[in-house]
Amino acid sequence: MAPSMESTTGFKFDNVRRNQLLGDKGYKVPTATKTGTTIVGLIFRDGVILGADTRATAGPIVADKNCEKIHYLAPNMYCCGAGTAADTEFTTNMISSQLALHSLSTGREARVVTAMTMLKQYLFKYQGHIGAALVLGGYDVGGPHLFTIYPHGSTDKLPYVTMGSGSLAAMSVFESRWRQGMSREEGIELVKDAIEAGIFNDMGSGSNVDVCVITKGNTEYLRNYARPNERVEKEQSYKFPAGTTEFIVPRPAGVAAGEESTAMDTSA
Amino acid sequence: MDFAQFQQAPVSVPTEHHSHGNRWDPYVDNGGTSLAIAGEDFVVVASDTRQSNGYSINSRYSPKAFELSNGSVLATTGYHADALKLVEHIEQRAQLYFHKHDRAMNVSAMAQMLSGILYSKRFFPYYVFPILSGLDAKGKGAVYTYDPVGNMERVNYQAYGSASALVQPFLDSQVGFKNQRNADPSRLLERPQAVKLAIDAFTGATERDIHTGDWLDLFIIDQDGIHQTKRELKHD
Amino acid sequence: MSALKPGEVNLGTTIMAVQFDGGVVVGADSRTTTGAYIANRVTDKLTKIHDRIYCCRSGSAADTQAVADIVQYHMQMYTAQHGEAPTVKVAASLFQEICYQNKNNLSAGIIVAGWDERDGASVYNIPLGGSLHREPFAIGGSGSTYIYGYCDKVFRPDLSRDECIEFVKNSVSLAMTRDGSSGGVVRLAVITKDGVERQFVPGDQLPEQYVG
Repeated sequence: MAPSMESTTGFKFDNVRRNQLLGDKGYKVPTATKTGTTIVGLIFRDGVILGADTRATAGPIVADKNCEKIHYLAPNMYCCGAGTAADTEFTTNMISSQLALHSLSTGREARVVTAMTMLKQYLFKYQGHIGAALVLGGYDVGGPHLFTIYPHGSTDKLPYVTMGSGSLAAMSVFESRWRQGMSREEGIELVKDAIEAGIFNDMGSGSNVDVCVITKGNTEYLRNYARPNERVEKEQSYKFPAGTTEFIVPRPAGVAAGEESTAMDTSA
Repeated sequence: MDFAQFQQAPVSVPTEHHSHGNRWDPYVDNGGTSLAIAGEDFVVVASDTRQSNGYSINSRYSPKAFELSNGSVLATTGYHADALKLVEHIEQRAQLYFHKHDRAMNVSAMAQMLSGILYSKRFFPYYVFPILSGLDAKGKGAVYTYDPVGNMERVNYQAYGSASALVQPFLDSQVGFKNQRNADPSRLLERPQAVKLAIDAFTGATERDIHTGDWLDLFIIDQDGIHQTKRELKHD
Repeated sequence: MSALKPGEVNLGTTIMAVQFDGGVVVGADSRTTTGAYIANRVTDKLTKIHDRIYCCRSGSAADTQAVADIVQYHMQMYTAQHGEAPTVKVAASLFQEICYQNKNNLSAGIIVAGWDERDGASVYNIPLGGSLHREPFAIGGSGSTYIYGYCDKVFRPDLSRDECIEFVKNSVSLAMTRDGSSGGVVRLAVITKDGVERQFVPGDQLPEQYVG
């Protein structure tokens, strides 16, 4: 793959050859951070509601207890991301900027199908190597729209959708309780319950519920709409008395004594 | 053809493929965490009760620390089915010992026996990381740790399982007083302190390890016997 | 001919198209799977390419959607530039070209069917390697293997419009019950000179048949 080494724009694939070699020799191949996730969306009477959990994992370790998985695309469009964290972040950011330019040049609000088409063509081009699994929702001149977009570039248009490792748990809630023409309150409640099904039954998902309600001319981002997993009080404090830590040199050269420093935030 | 243009990426992507043969694999890691802290005349043993496989929870209450017939507690992690079989194996041998000697095994004898049981399956091991806790012949808190093939060590404290990398350093600091000036590393904890640490270790581990959570089984072993309590952990 | 990549969305499908005097009937099941999970149980695998040209998609969802989008775009350009609708043969040939030229990177089995002024009703089959076959009727997808015998026995060149609809309903329904990768509802489209009529048979109203 000689041309790949000469490219000055886009992605670098130098490490693919290294990984191939590593894999062939039986070594462990480095992997990107994949977020176990529950993301959902549904259409209700007046628009669409998106939902997501807030856990980010690195293997079995919780890397972030309160991350944001509902990404901004346009004022009337948001997109939930599952899969490779970096890919969902960069892909949605890039499409968001393209949509902004598109709106500027057409003088109109971008349509949801436009975003969907841009996303699917971008992901298809990379043949699944960009691991972004998305739930796209928005409201445009044609009313509410909801899509799922898979990493290989296929799309589905449905009235209620789920994605990520918690998608089966969440879908079981939708399949039993979703119906046509739900009210805003009913919709939010159902989205919350679907995400909570993922939070409690899928170990890749956890912590809080983020919700985003998109209606005609209005978007409401309800960050941490539900917080069903508050941490309990610790049994005791773990502050060390000053002078506990062993040292060899009393103070590194060049560091002034008694200098004010900002305390690290250790809450949460 | 336009399709070629459409499909053209800035650079081409060589496909990665690795051939891993479909070998027979009889083991599963069911996750979870166990710890034990020895005191002068007691031991605190704690295990979470979540049993899982991959991203799925098999059970929110499936104890993996077991009271044994001789008054000791065996806390396990690893493959749950093997842990159950190991407990059966130990209890069968303890029963034989009881009938032969007309008294229950003391903890040090059982500790040595457990090492032997594990090594007897050297080439098809029980995939279990056991921690055996009780009071020794002098009434002191005793904690014995093992690897799956029987390597044994008596320690003052130990954390095993999916959150061991999170909990063991915490115990090293708070129980072992490691890397601290003016501290005696061999000092044993008082009972309330040990219990508080065990609880905080698990609420903390539950925050950051996805395989640990749901409920906490707490055992305090002292002269009067085994006192068991159950606490709630987070379920996410 | 490439196999499905790990995690790829599959249209393990039953698709079908039948020609009759004056039009075609196209049909498909509605199941989309990722491994054992049904990602979409009401999928529409009958994709509009032009006013009177439809395609039935089987294989990778991503590949077939991408190819169908490209052909759809070209058919729109064709109409704008020539001032008339493309024939089914034109659409089918473009499908073939794309499927053949990219056969190492695609898993797409497509049936193209429709009606045009020049040839009337026609059905084209483009299986995995990218070859092109005009046939009076075509079946495709994983479920089709179960109904070759049935279709060969029942099909007649003089089938009427309504008989064709029944033929497609029965065939797809039979394949759906035997093929685990096919299921859900039966979607149909009848394409004639006068336009396209879409039909839909819910999963609990499928034709009566032996179910074991």
